[in-house]
Amino acid sequence: MFLAPSALARLIASELRADRAEVVEARRLPGGAVREHWLVVAEICGGACAGRHRLVLRSDGQTPLGFGLDLVQEFALLRTVHGAGIPAPEPLLCCGDAAIIGKPFHLTRWVAGEADAERIVAAGPNDALAAQLGRALAAVHAIRPPRLDLSFLGAPPVDPAMALLAEYRRRLDAIGEKRPVAEWGLRWLARNLPAPAAPVICHGDFRTGNYLVADGALAAILDWEFAGWGDPDSDLGWFCSRCWRFSELEREAGGIASRTALYGGYETEAGRRLDPRRLRFWEVMAALKWLVVALLQRDRFLKQGERSLDLALTGRRAAECEFELLRLTAGEPETRE
Amino acid sequence: MIDDPPSAAELLALVRAAWERDFASLPAEQRQQQAALIVRCLAIGERTLRSAGSAAVIEHGLAQHFGMTAPEQRLERLAAAIRAGAYDRPGPAREGILRLLWAITLRKLALSNPAFTVGIGEGRG
Repeated sequence: MFLAPSALARLIASELRADRAEVVEARRLPGGAVREHWLVVAEICGGACAGRHRLVLRSDGQTPLGFGLDLVQEFALLRTVHGAGIPAPEPLLCCGDAAIIGKPFHLTRWVAGEADAERIVAAGPNDALAAQLGRALAAVHAIRPPRLDLSFLGAPPVDPAMALLAEYRRRLDAIGEKRPVAEWGLRWLARNLPAPAAPVICHGDFRTGNYLVADGALAAILDWEFAGWGDPDSDLGWFCSRCWRFSELEREAGGIASRTALYGGYETEAGRRLDPRRLRFWEVMAALKWLVVALLQRDRFLKQGERSLDLALTGRRAAECEFELLRLTAGEPETRE
Repeated sequence: MIDDPPSAAELLALVRAAWERDFASLPAEQRQQQAALIVRCLAIGERTLRSAGSAAVIEHGLAQHFGMTAPEQRLERLAAAIRAGAYDRPGPAREGILRLLWAITLRKLALSNPAFTVGIGEGRG
């Protein structure tokens, strides 16, 4: 990516109805396996936004993952989510013109806080944070169809679990490797499908590492590129997956707290009791999903030639997902609800 | 053949390329992250060299179930049998396949991330 500060400054001034703007700092931020992030500090003169602003520029990575929302769609979704009062970065402008930085991007207002999962987990158990996350997630799930502003998401699936299962099976077949443990997981999921849930907006990658923490409290939920219509329990299963506990395995809610804290916050806000059997199903599905994503990430290295140590090593994480598939399913009774 | 790609050799080649290409020029924070990735790759390479024997045991187990075909075909047959529901019912066949699946998975984790299995004792057959 190249960053042309003057072109970016002109765009910011135009979109924010300022007299002029100047980009006084632009630097790449660490993290982001799928997308790139830059801190952009802009000095804006005139108009309602006059002053110095810290912004985050988000664009695609070097090679695509092959699914998820594009930047324009993600920007539109952020508008809906932020407008609903959910803690998320405020979307400011979206640009599909490659002349500015060489590819599409969007800008959001900077939110201060820690996103690094290892550091968040290392800060110790935090039940209050988990409860806050549970409440925020329930607010996300309160966004339900029909929504004209989210028409780009397509029609909500009639049976979200069955639809996802079919998608992951198709993706694994397309990857082309014979993975017996993945087949074991697929088989278990197919035989334990829960009754279809009414679809809601799901974050799709709701986990430690994808939210910001400031002074021990939730500051913002990040990374909405995998959002879409789905079963609300899928986000909870993903959050509690063993793969996302960052070595704090006993803290089953994202490595930060007990499940009780997360579920309590969620149930209070959502006004419904969570069903442990459904949550277990979605935790198995989470392991399968992470397996598919890990293989797709790896293939950006193996098949698309992106020379990244991080992507190459992600391929070796597939075994962690398979371990989880076996741990959660082996020897358990299999009956459809 | 049991082990996941990229191979240890590919990882080591990637480490060498990353080191030669741009490691010294990276900003301090990125250098720290890259160093951590390099250490993980080297550790996988080291563990792979030390553990050649355990893959042979798994290959033998696969051969017992699926005959002396090419290793890729054994995995393919196992995957197809699971998909077809051959091991849905409780019994010795299911238990035997589960032991094999655990052995394959633990072998992979022993190379890529041994710490992931710490504290887990249940259900490994």
